[in-house]
Parts: sequence; C-alpha cells; structure tokens
Amino acid sequence: MQFNYLNLATLVLASSLGFNVQAAETNWAKIEQAAQGQTVYFNAWGGGENINSYIEWAAEQAKQRYAITVKQVKITDAAEVVKRIQTEQQAGRTTDGSVDLIWVNGENFSALKRGKLLYGPWAEQLPNWSNVDTNKPVRQDFSESTDGLEAPWGTAQLTFIADRSKVASAPDSAAALLEFAKQNPGRVSYPKPPSFHGTTFLKQFLLELSTDPSALTKPVDPAQFATMTKPLWDYLDQLHAVAWQQGKSFPASDSEMHQKLADGELLISLTFNPNEAASLIEKGSLPKTAYSFGFKQGTIGNVHFVAIPFNAKAKEGAQVFANFLLSPEAQAHKADVKVWGDPSVLLADKLPAASQEAATASTLPADIPTLAEPHASWVEALEKEWLQRYGS
Amino acid sequence: MVAALRQLSSRMLTANNSAKRTPHNSLDWMLWGVAWLGVLVILGLPLLGLIPALNDGLSANNWLLLWADSQTLPALKLTLFSAGISTIWALWLACSLVFLFYPSRAWQRLQRQLPVFLALPHAAFAIGLVLLLAPSGWLVRLIAPFFAWTAPPNWITTQDPYALSLTLALVLKETWFLLWILTSLLNQEWLLKQSLVAQSLGYGRWQMGWQILFPQLLKRLAWPLLAVFAYGLSVVDMALIIGPSTPPTLAVLAWQWFTDPDPSQQLKAQSLALLLIGLLLMGAALGYLAYLVLSKRLATPTGHRHKLRTYPVLKLALSSLLSLPVWLALFLLLLWSLAGSWFFPQIIPDDFSLNAWHRAAFEPFSTTIFIASCCVFIALPLTLLWLEWGSKQQAWLYLSLIIPALPFTAAQYQVALLLNFDGNLAAVIWSHLAWVLPYMLLTLAGAYRNFDERFVLTAKTLTYSHWQACIYIKWPMLIRPILAACAVGFAVSVAQYLPTLFIGGGRIETVTTEAVSLSAGGNRASLAVQAVLQALLPLLAFVLATSLSQWLGRNHQGLK
Repeated sequence: MQFNYLNLATLVLASSLGFNVQAAETNWAKIEQAAQGQTVYFNAWGGGENINSYIEWAAEQAKQRYAITVKQVKITDAAEVVKRIQTEQQAGRTTDGSVDLIWVNGENFSALKRGKLLYGPWAEQLPNWSNVDTNKPVRQDFSESTDGLEAPWGTAQLTFIADRSKVASAPDSAAALLEFAKQNPGRVSYPKPPSFHGTTFLKQFLLELSTDPSALTKPVDPAQFATMTKPLWDYLDQLHAVAWQQGKSFPASDSEMHQKLADGELLISLTFNPNEAASLIEKGSLPKTAYSFGFKQGTIGNVHFVAIPFNAKAKEGAQVFANFLLSPEAQAHKADVKVWGDPSVLLADKLPAASQEAATASTLPADIPTLAEPHASWVEALEKEWLQRYGS
Repeated sequence: MVAALRQLSSRMLTANNSAKRTPHNSLDWMLWGVAWLGVLVILGLPLLGLIPALNDGLSANNWLLLWADSQTLPALKLTLFSAGISTIWALWLACSLVFLFYPSRAWQRLQRQLPVFLALPHAAFAIGLVLLLAPSGWLVRLIAPFFAWTAPPNWITTQDPYALSLTLALVLKETWFLLWILTSLLNQEWLLKQSLVAQSLGYGRWQMGWQILFPQLLKRLAWPLLAVFAYGLSVVDMALIIGPSTPPTLAVLAWQWFTDPDPSQQLKAQSLALLLIGLLLMGAALGYLAYLVLSKRLATPTGHRHKLRTYPVLKLALSSLLSLPVWLALFLLLLWSLAGSWFFPQIIPDDFSLNAWHRAAFEPFSTTIFIASCCVFIALPLTLLWLEWGSKQQAWLYLSLIIPALPFTAAQYQVALLLNFDGNLAAVIWSHLAWVLPYMLLTLAGAYRNFDERFVLTAKTLTYSHWQACIYIKWPMLIRPILAACAVGFAVSVAQYLPTLFIGGGRIETVTTEAVSLSAGGNRASLAVQAVLQALLPLLAFVLATSLSQWLGRNHQGLK
C-alpha cells in the first residue's frame, strides 16, 4: 500500500516536472517573440576598448539572431546607474526606465537588491543556465545571495602585472610588496579608492593582514571595525611613505596604472582580469616582457553579473541578450585573449575544445588560489575610512 | 546744417529706440512672443529645477554633513585657489598683451591665432597639456637623454595635489577668452581717443594701459570676469583630467556625490552645489571691492611718467607662454593619435600606425556635429529675434554663464526627469542651448549695439516694415558678426560635458564625453584620436565662418 502511494507520488511529481519543462519552453518562446524588435540599453563600464568591442560583437550577433538592437551605454561607474534608477523610482517612473540591462556586482547589486530596484527572479530560468558551472560562486555576490536577480557573465581574479626587464622576481605577499616598495621608492601605488580596483586592493590586503579573515564574510560590525582594520591602516601608513608621490596622489584607475607601468613610472600594476596583460601586449600598450603574478596565499576573485532594473522597458530583450551572453559560443569568444580574455562561468566541458587556452607567462599562473570576497558591506566601510584617512 | 541733421536724426533714433520695444502690429507681437517663449523654455525652465535643490541644499543637517567630510575643506581651498588665481592671472595676462601689443603687427599675429585658441575645447587642451607636462610627458622625454633616465623622474607635475597644473591650464585657456572679449572692446572710439591723448601727454603704452585704460576696461569686463571665475569654480572635465585627485576640487567632489547611490552623499552634493553659488557671490563681492579700491587709487595719478621702454623680454615671454603650449599640445595629440607603441623615454613613437584611427568610434563625432548644428540653427533665430524684439534687460540671460555649471545642470536634469524628457538627442540639444544661446547673444550684442540704426530708419521711411528692414537690410549687414556668433555657438556646444552626461543619461556620446572617459587611463592613442576630433570640430566651424565672411566681404565692401 505504502509502496503504491510512493509510486503515485513519483508519478505526480514526474508529470508535473515534465509539465514545468514544457511550460518553461513555451514561456521562453514567448519571451523570445516579445524581444523581437526591442532596443536593449546595456549599461556597462566603457573604459576598456577590448570589452567595448566584445559587446559590439555580441550586439551584432543579437541583431542577426534575435532581431534585438543592443546599445551599450558606456558608463564610468555602475554606481551612477544605480543612482539613475533610484532617481527614476523617486520620480515615479515605474515603466519605460532608461536602463534595460546593467553590468554589476558587489555593493551596487546589494544596493539595487535592497532598494527593490531589480526585476526578477529570471536568471535561473534562462535556457543557458544549465551550462553554468554552479561550483563557481555564481549564486553569491560578495556574500549576498543573488536569488536569480542577476545572471553570471564572467569571473575575475585580482592579478598583478610587472615587466620582466625591470622586475626579475615579483613580491608574492603583502610583506614582500612593502619590502619591494622600500627598495624602489616612488614606484608602487594602487588605484584610488573608491574606484573598483582600489577598493579590491584594500580588501586583498585586509584579507591577508587580518587576524580573523572569517569575520570578513559577515556584515561589518561597527564596534569591531577599528580593531579589525588596524593592521591594514598600519600597513598602508608604511606603504604610502615610500609609494608613488608619497601616497599623496593615486592613479585614477587600473588603466592608468597600466599606462604608468608602460611608462616606467610604476613597477607594478594590477587588474581584475587574469588575461589582461596578454591582451595589452597584443595591443602594443605593454612591452612584450610584461608578466602576471599573484600572491602565494591567493588573491581575491569573484563573479560579475548582468541584472535587469524593475522599470526596464525591454525586459524580454534583456533576458534574451543575457541568455546569449551565457551561450558557449559567446563565452568562448569572450575568453579569447585576443578579444577580451575574461574567463568563462560555464562548465569546462560545455566550451568548445579549441578555447581551452594554454596558459602563458602573461596570464595569471593557475596555482594562485582564489580568495572569496568579503561581505558587500565592507566595501563602503573601507572606502569611507580610507577617504577619511588618506582622501585629503 | 550737417550737425543739425545729425542731431535731429539722433533724436528720432532715441524716439524710435524707445518705441521699438513695444511691438505695435500683430507680426511684431508674434515675434516678441517667439523670442520670449524660446528664452523661457531654454533658460527659465531649468530655474524651476533649482527649487527642490534649494530645499534640500539649505537644510542645516546637510551642511553639517558637508562640513564633517574630511575632503570638503581641502577641496574648498584647492577650488578657491585654482579659480581665484586663474581669474586674476588671466586678467593680468590678457590686459598685458593688449597694452604691450595693440595695435602692432605682433597683435595681428596673435589675433590670427585667437580663433584656434578659443575653439580648442578645454578637455582636449588639458589632455594635450598632460601629454606635454606629465612626468612621462614630452618635455621630460626631451631632457631624459641628458640625465640618462630610463624611467620618468619621481616628480609631481600634472594632477599635482596643489592644483597648480589645473590653475595653469585654466589661466591659459581663460586668457584667450578675455582677450577675445577685449578685442571687441578695443574697436571702440573712446579707447583710441584716450590713448592718443595719453600718449601725446608723454605716457608710455604700458603705463597708460594700466593707469588709464585698465580701470575703464575693468568696468566692462565685470561680467566676463565673473563668468571666468564661475567656470573655474565648476569645471569638471578639465579638473578630472589635469586637476588634483586626493582630494579633487569641489566641482568634481559634487559630481561624484551627485552620482553616488548613497542618499546622504547626494544631500551633501546639493549643499555643495549651493556652496559653489555662494563662493561665486563672495568672489563677485570681493572683486567689486577690489575694483572700488583700485579705481579710487588710480583716480588721482601722481603724474609721474615712467621711462618709455619697449619690454622686449616681457613681450617674448608672454606671447610664447600663451601660444607655445597650445601648439605643442595640439602637436602631441596628433603625434599620439598616430603612435603604434611609444614607451618612455622615446621622443618620437617607436612605430607609427593608423590603428587608433581605424579602431576609433566615429559615432560620437557625427553625434557631436548633429547636436552642435541643431543648437546653432535654433539659437541663431532666437538670438536675432531677442536682440530685435526681446527685452532690453538682458543680464538675466547670462545667468547660465554665471551660475556654476553643476547646480544648473542638476536643475536641468530634475526638470527633464519630471517631464519624462531625458536620455535623447532633443533633450541634450535643449540642455546645450542654455549655454549656446547666451554665448551667441554675448557675441552678437556688441555688434548689434554698434549698428547704425539710421539704416533701419531710412528703410522704414521707404515703406519697409520693421521685419522687412531686418531681413533685407540689418541682418545682411551684420552677416560677419552673425557668422562669428554661429561658430562660437557651435564650439560651445561641442565642449559641453556635464549636461551631455546628465541629461543624455550617458546614452548620448559626444567626442567630449568620449575623450574625458578615455582620459582616465585607456589607450593613449585612442584618447588622442578623440581629443583631436574634439579639437577639430570647433576649428572647422571657425574656419568656415571666417572664410564665408571673407568671401562675402569681397563682394560687399561695406560689411562690418
């Protein structure tokens, strides 16, 4: 009897699942149909030429395959877009918003999610979600659960770059970097926080110098903040004394760091793309002797995402485009060093075999461990404290 | 007889002038209406957007927040320093040039270069200066072989924490602006007469300039000087490129806070925008005070004549200080745009290539041309209608030149959002017009004032209506200043950064937004391409305007 019940239950479950799959398929067909002819304003950081031309390529594909027009709105900081969506919400614009898709992660995602400014959940309903490697942190964004409100796009890991002709052996820890800076006064710096790379630099060193790294995965405890971050500020005080322009000024971005590395004004640059050095060499922006390195304890890595605002005009078009971005073809093209070099979020066996690039000296060595991002609330707390201490 | 006639006609002229402002037939009423409507939509509407800003900006709590931020005070010092010093220096330089050179052959040479200097957008110029002056810049590369440098020296030049490089860039750029204003003042008769008298009394040019002409010019330069000061207070693009970063100037800080998702930062930005207006008023008051003191001191000259000197060193120094950096900056922009790879300490690129030009996005270029042309096509008729039929009280039209750009743009943005009118080309054109229209008015007003109204009067006695007199007689006679105003309007639109970004919602890309966003790193060759394009556009407009007016002048000798 019991056996029968179980059987029945299985039967019901199986049939309802089958029904769900079918429903999902018709749903997706409807979405694809609605997407036709839509214009998707994709708000994405526009400071990287390789990224821009990749997006241009993806837009052309979307035009041909799905009759969607994708326009990249080149922004300098995703925070500006968050602000724009907020302003639209306050002005009562709940439809026809100016942003359809936004490239986002970390504190900006967290701000959007908190403000209920996102459409969804939609990400895990995408057909190409089945290709995604869920062992990568694609459901966690800076310790904040994504809840299907954003779809993963690529992975990143903090990577340092130096020039072999000037730096024979690279520092492999925070302490070694300080020693290196003392031997080469005025030649080490980092992008000014609150720029994305500058803040990542702070988090990297906080993770390494902190006595209790596990506390960083939880929201900031204001009572503990001072003691927890003291090692970081002590370290930076020492570093700034021997840094570029005595730590009174900082480069504005990672690209400015690369430029200064090429000029020889700095000896070490940093990036969040493990393949960046390779593509910069390809373009003639860095000398051929440039190479990538990480710290032996590991460097911070994360996943970056695309999300749809609550008031987006072309929600269907945005989903179809996001789905295309997750296709093996688009992900493999993105991972190509000659194109962008941004590592894929898909399962390795889903990617075309040809795209399994052999690592070169210019890419980050594979044996550098990936450290998880601290909780999103650390970003603002660290930026505020940094500005208070060194911002003026 | 002649004198009597002249008196009569001038009396009629005054009668006519007072009548002119009250339209008397339906066509006049309509034109009056169009002029007012246009001006109100362009300049009045944004003022409504200032109201919510005032509301938030005045709250005591926000001021406390602003004061508590550790960046505010140092940024305030930097802003006051760069805006104040650059205004004073630009005034001194522009006047010195006039007193040293006017009217000589060297003056003519300067005059010929003036359109290039004026047309060169602030952003492109700043980028060129960075390529010239940075520790890895061209000047250092020139001397590097003598010191066997293989890496740039550990110097602080551009983006220095004291805002010196920003101040220098502002001084150079604003001097040309003042020189341009001075040029239009110099043609006036009183000046020539007074300098003749003064010279016959044994005053040298330099002494006469500073003691007799300067106080009088100063009075007429009051508004342009205020505009220069306001520009220095609120400039964002130049400050991002060549200004300090830790902390930046107030305008950049306000811009960063305005775009911050944290609401408390946005409240600080509102107060900061008001602070900028406050600083402007303070600067105006101080300037007026200084003017009073100065004119009192100069009112009773000692009568002592300085030795007549020709100041050859000063002349050479000033004229080269003013023109060399521009030409070098332009040259470097061109060179970088053609560079394949170019590493320190090479003086010329390791290899040349057209890659950057092939890669370059030309869409911003065509968008910029479209926006600027639309602006001129809308602003020109409005300008003419306003000068002819609008109110004589024009001071408030220059409000957008005087109010720092940041609060004004934020107000425009508020209005655009409320009207659901942001993120498209029409909105950007509307926002640009708030600067294009006043500048065109400013450019034309002088020539318009000096126009001999007797021509119109004669036309009217010969049965032309007021409108016909303008169409057939007055405006064709003013074609040269009109063309110049068009070129100015075009250049002003090309250079706009903040309104394009705010009202365009980031969707509308012009060469200016492209150049500024690339200046924060990126590939220098691509940056140089966009900067060259940005510099090229206004230059083309000026060349077009000049050659057109020369061509017209060949056939019509009497044109002004």
